Amino acid sequence: MSGLVITRRRLLGMFGATGAAAALSACGSSLGGGGESSSGGEQGGAVKIGLVVPQAGVYAPVGLDLQRGWDLWLEQHDGKIGGFTATTVVGDEGETPQTGVAAVQRLLQSDNCDVLVGVVSSATALGVRDLVTESKKLLLVANAGAEDITGKAASPYIWRTSFTNGQVSGVMGRYLAEQGTKDGVFVLAPDYAAGAEATAGFQTAYEAAGGAIAGSAKPPFGKTQDYQPFLSQIQSSGAKATFCFFAGAEAVAFVKQYRQFGLADTIPLYGSGFLTEGGVLTAQGAAALGVQTSLHYTSELDNEHNKDFVAAYKKKYDAVPTVYSVQTWDAAGVLDRALKSAKATDGDALSKALDGVGSIDDSPRGEWSFEGQTPKQKFYVREVKQAGEGFVNAVIAETEPVGQDS
Amino acid sequence: MGAWFDANLVSVLNGVAIGCLLFILAIGLSLVFGMMDVLNLAHGATFLVGAYTGWVVGGTDPTWATFLLALAVALGIGLLVGAGMSLLTEPLRRRSHLDQALLTLGVALIVAELLSIAFGNDVQAVDAPPGLDGTVTLLGSAYPTYRLVLIVVGAVFAVVLWALMSRTMIGTVIRATVADRDMVSAIGIDNRKVKLAVFAAGSALAAVAGVLGGPIYGARPGLDSTVLILALVVVVIGGLGSVRGALVGALVIGQIESLGRAVLADAASFLLFGALAVVLVLRPQGLFAGAAR
Amino acid sequence: MTRVVRTGMPVVAWLALAAAPVFLAPYATTTLARMLVFGLLAASLALLVGVTGLPSLGHAAYFGAGAYAAGWFAKNVSTTAPLSLLIAAATGGVVAAATGWVAVRARGVFFLVLTLAIGEIVLQVAEVWESMTGGSNGLYGIPATTIGGEPVVHPAYLYWFVLAVFAVGFAVLWLVVRSPYGTALRGIHDNEPRMRAIGYPTALYKYTVFVIAGTVAGLAGGLFAVQQRLVTPADVGFTTAALALLAVIIGGAGSLWGACAGAGLVILVRDSLGPTLDGHGPLVLGVVFVLVVYLMPRGVAGIRLRRAS
Repeated sequence: MSGLVITRRRLLGMFGATGAAAALSACGSSLGGGGESSSGGEQGGAVKIGLVVPQAGVYAPVGLDLQRGWDLWLEQHDGKIGGFTATTVVGDEGETPQTGVAAVQRLLQSDNCDVLVGVVSSATALGVRDLVTESKKLLLVANAGAEDITGKAASPYIWRTSFTNGQVSGVMGRYLAEQGTKDGVFVLAPDYAAGAEATAGFQTAYEAAGGAIAGSAKPPFGKTQDYQPFLSQIQSSGAKATFCFFAGAEAVAFVKQYRQFGLADTIPLYGSGFLTEGGVLTAQGAAALGVQTSLHYTSELDNEHNKDFVAAYKKKYDAVPTVYSVQTWDAAGVLDRALKSAKATDGDALSKALDGVGSIDDSPRGEWSFEGQTPKQKFYVREVKQAGEGFVNAVIAETEPVGQDS
Repeated sequence: MGAWFDANLVSVLNGVAIGCLLFILAIGLSLVFGMMDVLNLAHGATFLVGAYTGWVVGGTDPTWATFLLALAVALGIGLLVGAGMSLLTEPLRRRSHLDQALLTLGVALIVAELLSIAFGNDVQAVDAPPGLDGTVTLLGSAYPTYRLVLIVVGAVFAVVLWALMSRTMIGTVIRATVADRDMVSAIGIDNRKVKLAVFAAGSALAAVAGVLGGPIYGARPGLDSTVLILALVVVVIGGLGSVRGALVGALVIGQIESLGRAVLADAASFLLFGALAVVLVLRPQGLFAGAAR
Repeated sequence: MTRVVRTGMPVVAWLALAAAPVFLAPYATTTLARMLVFGLLAASLALLVGVTGLPSLGHAAYFGAGAYAAGWFAKNVSTTAPLSLLIAAATGGVVAAATGWVAVRARGVFFLVLTLAIGEIVLQVAEVWESMTGGSNGLYGIPATTIGGEPVVHPAYLYWFVLAVFAVGFAVLWLVVRSPYGTALRGIHDNEPRMRAIGYPTALYKYTVFVIAGTVAGLAGGLFAVQQRLVTPADVGFTTAALALLAVIIGGAGSLWGACAGAGLVILVRDSLGPTLDGHGPLVLGVVFVLVVYLMPRGVAGIRLRRAS
């Protein structure tokens, strides 16, 4: 490397120049305006929507489904939403709230979006609450499941079209108690906020209906690849059934190992729907057969709107839609109604319009409505069954509409 | 005591199985660092390359033919990756060891991103080859056959490695280089060739471990950092450059991850790094330091 | 000419930083503020890595501890401007003092892995201690800091506040590096046994620099809490620590301003370039990293060039 003329100073200079070029496009002035929201949406019937989804990293598959649901709705409605022409700007939520908050800031401050849709991580959703509220822009959360988002930390500008963690598992709690597994359910969820909420939701509902827990465990979140110690614990507890909450890679590992260790034949496995939803089910394959879960959607739903939705989705993407696709599809539908009614794009008008939006009757998931700014919806108990070459979540039971506090 | 042991014996056995896999994974890292003072932070990425190889070649339901083929392909790719890493770090030979470690970190980032671009972000699962994907009844509960096979593979490998290190010329050269690198080059053995060979072999082992670990870990983005941290902990606890140390370290970590989590459930998240911190405080050079440092 | 450039460049740089909000759009100003926060973290790490030769992969632990402390203080006690920052710096220093005595007994790779372990343990504490840290959802809803009773929310005013605190933190580091103490640290980096032989208590020096770096990292953490108003376990662990180390190496291990520039580049790639690359920002970072490690000028000459900063 002798005789090399490039020094670090010059390298930094080159990067600095590139950065400056990027910065030039960021020119303007931060002074004046008092940090208020820009007056968007008044350019004659156009609305700019910021889609906040993870584009890379462990949550990228969820982000992809979210984006697909959104894009499909717009395509089916000629790119118009609520009478306005829609422009979608995608912001990468990334893997941590650091990038999530930055993405939301960029969409609000730099791209001047009127409405925000998306957000997978609950920490990010909670973290941008003040930012969104101070900017007076509407945020439609299309995935994040923490109760506080529409509970303790609720804001008139934050509405949700997805679920709360406790809501989903509470359904399974009631179902199991009614099915006769009155005593001896072992509860398992990773040691983080969503896991704790899911466990609490299940336990409250299950015990209220007369059930008794046989034991519980909390595998370290993100740090467990081998579930043998917990599987042994389930066996030695004498449990008659297992209820668990896992998503993503942990769901794949757990369900596979549950079968590998022979528990699948003797201690039936139940779970919150994310255990077998989407790409996770493809990876689990036959190991997931017979697993029953509760969720507010499955691609097998037998209603008009879902049949059309699934057909269109398959045609465009050559893939089966998941609950995530439906959540943004419905977000678009809801925003459509709100814009039609408010005829404006600012947060106050839209929030007021959402209050009066009533029942959503054309959703693939069935009829639902807002309660406390989050969906009150029907839930389905699904069982994994073989369908041709692959596997699906077939519906075996349906519930009455359930809100977030049940 | 007996009852407690019965209940947790399966966890102990599982710990041995995981430990064997970790041993195969970590030995390459330990030897490269012990011999060359190069901390190969791309070791986890190499494991992931092997894991994806296992998935691509073997598929989700491998037959014996495809499984063995996957092992062979991973071995080859690992050798190439290792040789490449050795050549990449060659120009930095006279610079600080931190620089070389950081270079490998950069390579690890690049490899992980390329894998994500090539294979997507979905979690991929791999099954064990036919015949090994069943269960064996142990002490009243079922235990996957494949993990028992891992124990056998690990034991055989440990014996072979021991024989290599203590009975052959190559092994003597390796042990001598760990003990005193300069003296070895002073007696005429070319350090660069030795480094190339060990780097290649170490990376090949990491890739093979990726295929072997497929039925347990699968292949997905992020697995490389998880595995790298496990390997680092094994190697640091066991002592760098020592085969015995890597084996003991791997078995200890295997037990911590299995028996430790079964018995100390509440402290489960703190166990791994707590143990590492304790060992480093009491014996900063690891349990079996290989070199005279 | 070089003399003029040498003294002139820092002045111009500070003036440009001060004038930035006048010429930049609000989001760019916010991004620049974020770069300053990380810059301070990276500079404190540069003190450890470049000046003293202690490569730490767990420095974010003190950053995160300070951030949580400042956030908790702002939520529960008071939002008056300098208070939460003082608490943050103190917390960073205390945690560094508690873990430092263990850390400086190790050297090289062992120090690297031990600091990684410390960082991960502190992260676990953050996840588990829900009443103080909010667990994995993080500490959200941190109120804006107030100066004279007025909350600082406008991007430009917030930026100037961040710049002011950054200047204070940077000045502390700069003074340490310029002092005889700093020279002794460089001596320890170059040849610790020799320093010990001529009578320096090297262990004590290493411990004190660890605590100083931890305190400034804590201050940076407090600033982070003020700027982002959300603290999560991700800010405490390996991801953030690795970013800081990347920034330090890219900028030049012995250089404080270099570390800041490196941090700016890392944030720029992650937040601005990342989205356009479909989220594959780390690929660019990895390539930059490899290039930088290869092209760094040989040996001591590179370090000597930085001593004046």
